Amino acid sequence: MSLYSSGTSAASSAGSSVSSTTKPSEIDGLLAGAGYRVRSSDLRHVAQRLERLDAAMVNSPAEVSQLASDAVHYNPSDIASWVDSLLSELNQTASLPSDLPELPELMVGPGLNQTVLAEDAWTDHDAPQHQQLNNQFPVMTAMEEDSGIRLVHVLLTCAESVQRGDLAFAGSLIEDMQSLLTRVNTSCGIGKVAGYFIDALSRRIFTPQGVGFGGGVGLDPAYENEVLYHHFYEACPYLKFAHFTANQAILEAFDGHDCVHVVDFNLMHGLQWPALIQALALRPGGPPLLRLTGIGPPSPDGRDSLREVGLRLSELARSVNVRFAFRGVAASRLEDVKPWMLQVNPKEAVAVNSIMQLHRLLGSEPSRNSPIEMVLGWIRNLNPKIMTVIEQEANHNQPGFLDRFTDALYYYSTMFDSLEACTLQPEKALAEIYIQREICNVVCCEGSARVERHEPLAKWRGRLGQAGFRPLHLGSNAFKQASMLLTLFSAEGYCVEEKEGCLTLGWHSRPLIAASAWEAPLALPDANSPAAAPGIFVNPHSNPPINSL
Amino acid sequence: MMAASNEVNLNESKMVVPLNTWVLISNFKLAYNLLRRPDGTFNRHLAEFLDRKVPANTKPVLGVFSFDVIIDRSTSLLSRIYRPADGEQPQLNIADLEKPVTAEVVPVIIFFHGGSFAHSSANSAIYDTLCRRLVSICKVVVVSVNYRRAPENRYPCAYDDGWAALNWVNSSSWLQSKDSKVHIYLAGDSSGGNIVHHVALRAVESDIEVLGNILLNPMFGGQERTESEKRLDGKYFVTIQDRDWYWRAFLPEGEDRDHPACNPFGPKGNFLEGIKFPKSLVVVASLDLIQDRQLAYVKGLEKAGQKVKLLYLEQATIGFYLLPNNNHFYTVMDEISNFVGSDC
Repeated sequence: MSLYSSGTSAASSAGSSVSSTTKPSEIDGLLAGAGYRVRSSDLRHVAQRLERLDAAMVNSPAEVSQLASDAVHYNPSDIASWVDSLLSELNQTASLPSDLPELPELMVGPGLNQTVLAEDAWTDHDAPQHQQLNNQFPVMTAMEEDSGIRLVHVLLTCAESVQRGDLAFAGSLIEDMQSLLTRVNTSCGIGKVAGYFIDALSRRIFTPQGVGFGGGVGLDPAYENEVLYHHFYEACPYLKFAHFTANQAILEAFDGHDCVHVVDFNLMHGLQWPALIQALALRPGGPPLLRLTGIGPPSPDGRDSLREVGLRLSELARSVNVRFAFRGVAASRLEDVKPWMLQVNPKEAVAVNSIMQLHRLLGSEPSRNSPIEMVLGWIRNLNPKIMTVIEQEANHNQPGFLDRFTDALYYYSTMFDSLEACTLQPEKALAEIYIQREICNVVCCEGSARVERHEPLAKWRGRLGQAGFRPLHLGSNAFKQASMLLTLFSAEGYCVEEKEGCLTLGWHSRPLIAASAWEAPLALPDANSPAAAPGIFVNPHSNPPINSL
Repeated sequence: MMAASNEVNLNESKMVVPLNTWVLISNFKLAYNLLRRPDGTFNRHLAEFLDRKVPANTKPVLGVFSFDVIIDRSTSLLSRIYRPADGEQPQLNIADLEKPVTAEVVPVIIFFHGGSFAHSSANSAIYDTLCRRLVSICKVVVVSVNYRRAPENRYPCAYDDGWAALNWVNSSSWLQSKDSKVHIYLAGDSSGGNIVHHVALRAVESDIEVLGNILLNPMFGGQERTESEKRLDGKYFVTIQDRDWYWRAFLPEGEDRDHPACNPFGPKGNFLEGIKFPKSLVVVASLDLIQDRQLAYVKGLEKAGQKVKLLYLEQATIGFYLLPNNNHFYTVMDEISNFVGSDC
């Protein structure tokens, strides 16, 4: 930490902002606290680039407004690459002023400036991020009564007793909580969600292990789930955001390809696809041949629900002149799907779309040849042009029950809070049941029955990087459209945020769902070399990615 | 010609701030240039995309934890509360968040972030970090208000939100000191400093006592161009042109910069003689182009017989307090500590 002294030249300022113990490859800690990643050793270069950009903007004010409205921005935390991308946009219309001194080390344009982010960019700061996420609170209303707070206190004490194995004591607390419930407002806020958690805890305490979530109304659970899912889709914007953001990224990835194939890991009613089909129909140059492979659970009663959805989508595609082929793959679990079932053609551009499915492949502990590794492995071998991954932004797969319970309490409190704004019925009521099922699974189930194993974005980044995927950054255009979508559909309070190339949707300041995009380039011939270094930034609009190995 | 003088400007500013500060503020300057449209509209989507935000964290980090509260559902008014952690607490649960403060007197600072009324939020990384530093250095509770911004929400929305926050803090029993009163201070930088003045003014008519105002490089203006504006235009990250843009975005349509919101002691201003206005600490940076307006504000308070301390910082630019890498940062923190500590 340096002391300020007046009249210091830039050169010694550079020296003075780095302490003697800082390694040059380290990120400047003070800028990191402001949300920016710049290596201490790069500060001078970045400053020069900022000066160049300033000069370029001063010299071409007309181009600046075009830049402001048309340019797509990516990953603003990486100041160096952000500034370079702006410089290259400006260079296309204006020339650099010639009176600036020549700076031989300065590179302008795409090329080298898509810097290979150091390993630390992805892993170093994950730890504090992870820590932070551990203790996300619901945004509290200012009207929380004492009883509400007391209720939460007892809930956490109860969960802690469950973790210790003292089920007798935990059971006695259930009664206390039920009576406290009568003194709080159970129609909203903490009272509402507490009820579901008390219910889930009592199931866990009083029912034998292995019981599935929910208590169905006697209908086929998969069908029921579809109905609930549809209402959740209507009642709040989380799924719409997921579909919208994924489609945007897929559309961009398919640019220039005539044969494209989308693999949907959870077809449901195919709600995501009409918008993509229509967007492809309107594509300049005409639509590609679109194949869609939809994965879903087998139907019990002889119906082929996958095929029915496929038929509806085919009709839509035909009506907008998009050549379309559908294939359904019935599987109860994603790990039962084998790549040959997807019949991917090597000439196709493939998009793999996973909306809240990958977490179902996780177990409590990392293990070799686990389902997640296996599935990520075969996805990678398909060399998809893009894989869109949308997951709950939560830490519900921790080994300790109390930690899991606490996180879930706060996560779902926030989600329920956001649902309050919905006035549609029965959408809202059924959406609540949909969420309640998730809660039950997180709280009551263990082993293979517990499928809602949500992990935060930071962990997925690490996992996907290790499996050989490279991030594709979602940019300001996707951000803008997602924000606009929200103002159209939803109440005040939802917010979209950008974090290192991914987008999150949250309620007030708590992100609840995270969207990211990935690609898996062709595997290298050398079996001993590591998979493509994680963290390579690729701008899908630029030239083909430079192979860094 | 333009480029040459701009180059001079860039070099001047690089001479007086550490390199990482220069990078930070220049980055903001360039981003903000893209966001302000000549027709007075603002590229809000891009602004939100570019702004670096951080979540609240109930797990104490360097002795401070934070959580968000909705103060007013009808306007979605959020505030982020920062508190010092109590000893060895590894994990806080909800019952602890609003645990009554234990010390005899705990000053509560209601903080309004800067951004010229248009930029930033309570959860912007730079302000989250600043508030955390305030808590750990000055031993206070901080309530950072996420007020509505221009141009979508013009005067008086930001002041209304400040007023709502003041009322909420005043009536939060868990923020009371041992004397059963909440010891409230208002603080803010840039537009936040301006909000401090106007919220304090509103409080005068009520029975809410504000113990002190802290204005860090407060944003004031006026129709006339002052000497410091002309002398420092474009030299240290800020231009007269951008200041004008922000006033046009905040003030009611058709109003000029002598509107009392912008120029509180100007021709249309209010006079504060004889009223019980809080004592003020006003920090002015010598390289801030609006310093003449800030100094005029201090004079205005003095002439009205109000208690005010001016801290004039030589060779300081806007945003010097965003990174703790200069003496001025520590000077200001000490002054704030003393300012809020002297009422025990």
